[in-house]
Amino acid sequence: MCEACGCQQHEERTEKEKVVDVHEQLLAANSKQAAANRHHIEKMGAVAINLISSPGSGKTSLLEQTIERLKDRLSIGVIEGDPETERDAERIRKKGVPAVQLTTGGGCHLDAPMVHGGLHVLEHMGKGRKFDLIFIENVGNLVCPAAFDLGEHQRVVLLSVPEGSDKPAKYPATFRSADLVLLTKIDLLPYFDFSLDEATAATKLLQPTIPVLPLSAEKGEGMDAWIDYLLGLAPH
Amino acid sequence: MHEMSLAHSMMQQVLALAREHKASQVNSITVLLGPFSGVVAESFAFAFEILKKNETCLHNAVLHLECPDPRYRCLGCGAETSLPLPGQGARAHLDFDFFTEKQCPACASTRLSPLGGRELILQQIRME
Repeated sequence: MCEACGCQQHEERTEKEKVVDVHEQLLAANSKQAAANRHHIEKMGAVAINLISSPGSGKTSLLEQTIERLKDRLSIGVIEGDPETERDAERIRKKGVPAVQLTTGGGCHLDAPMVHGGLHVLEHMGKGRKFDLIFIENVGNLVCPAAFDLGEHQRVVLLSVPEGSDKPAKYPATFRSADLVLLTKIDLLPYFDFSLDEATAATKLLQPTIPVLPLSAEKGEGMDAWIDYLLGLAPH
Repeated sequence: MHEMSLAHSMMQQVLALAREHKASQVNSITVLLGPFSGVVAESFAFAFEILKKNETCLHNAVLHLECPDPRYRCLGCGAETSLPLPGQGARAHLDFDFFTEKQCPACASTRLSPLGGRELILQQIRME
């Protein structure tokens, strides 16, 4: 019993309590798996790109056009993330590229253990072929995917013209975590109140040195710079 | 709502450490949430309160969240500075303006590059 106040709890807590200093990442398990994924991808001879954006900003269309332009030069593999359906992977497979569909069953982001499973399926689908570039298309969401390292080498965030140029200011964590920002669907600029200057300035307020590329996958404008960026990443 | 998966992941770490130290009860957990981590402290605490009900040894655990101010390096003059994020009310009131007004206190440049701030760290556990 505690001598000061007579309670039983008090004494126990002061006598027996153990203070354990941990200083470990909260996402330690995810980070560990992400590091293993990166190693796995490098052993496959590839570089991985994590594509993050809102739903409908053109990630899959961009991939289709990218594959069209690069398929004779680079070996590409794709891991698709969606809450449901096989649709995106089917679109990619029509372009002649192996694509794994990960369905999260409602989950709002991909994490490193899911991608680990995806990499093994991709290797199986590739039947021993070597990959140069692996695209991981994240679940359409401008908030949650930012917190999860998947083992990618580059993180590319897309912002499409219909979404509005204020998005980097409103979703700073995602844009701050990007290595490259693509402003997509610029062929729609005449129809929307979207300012390329504002979107670029808002992004650079978060990360002054980040590259920002405007492009239209549909019409081809700006695609050359994106393709050059990818060719620069691919191992030679 | 990725706070739920984060709180769950933290809980697994805490339970493993409690087992390792042969503790039967966790009294408090201290977590550092970086200002740019994208984690809403209130949602994280809410998720923890729900999850802890399933674990007897966490029933009395109190969660302490450390939320430091973000730090920046000025690309104009090189000064390192700490600027508080406006509170919820201030943010709603200023809306977009607060975002564009962030300036280096030394040279007034707006080219401020964030220094870290994405940390999510399990700092300390008190257990018995």
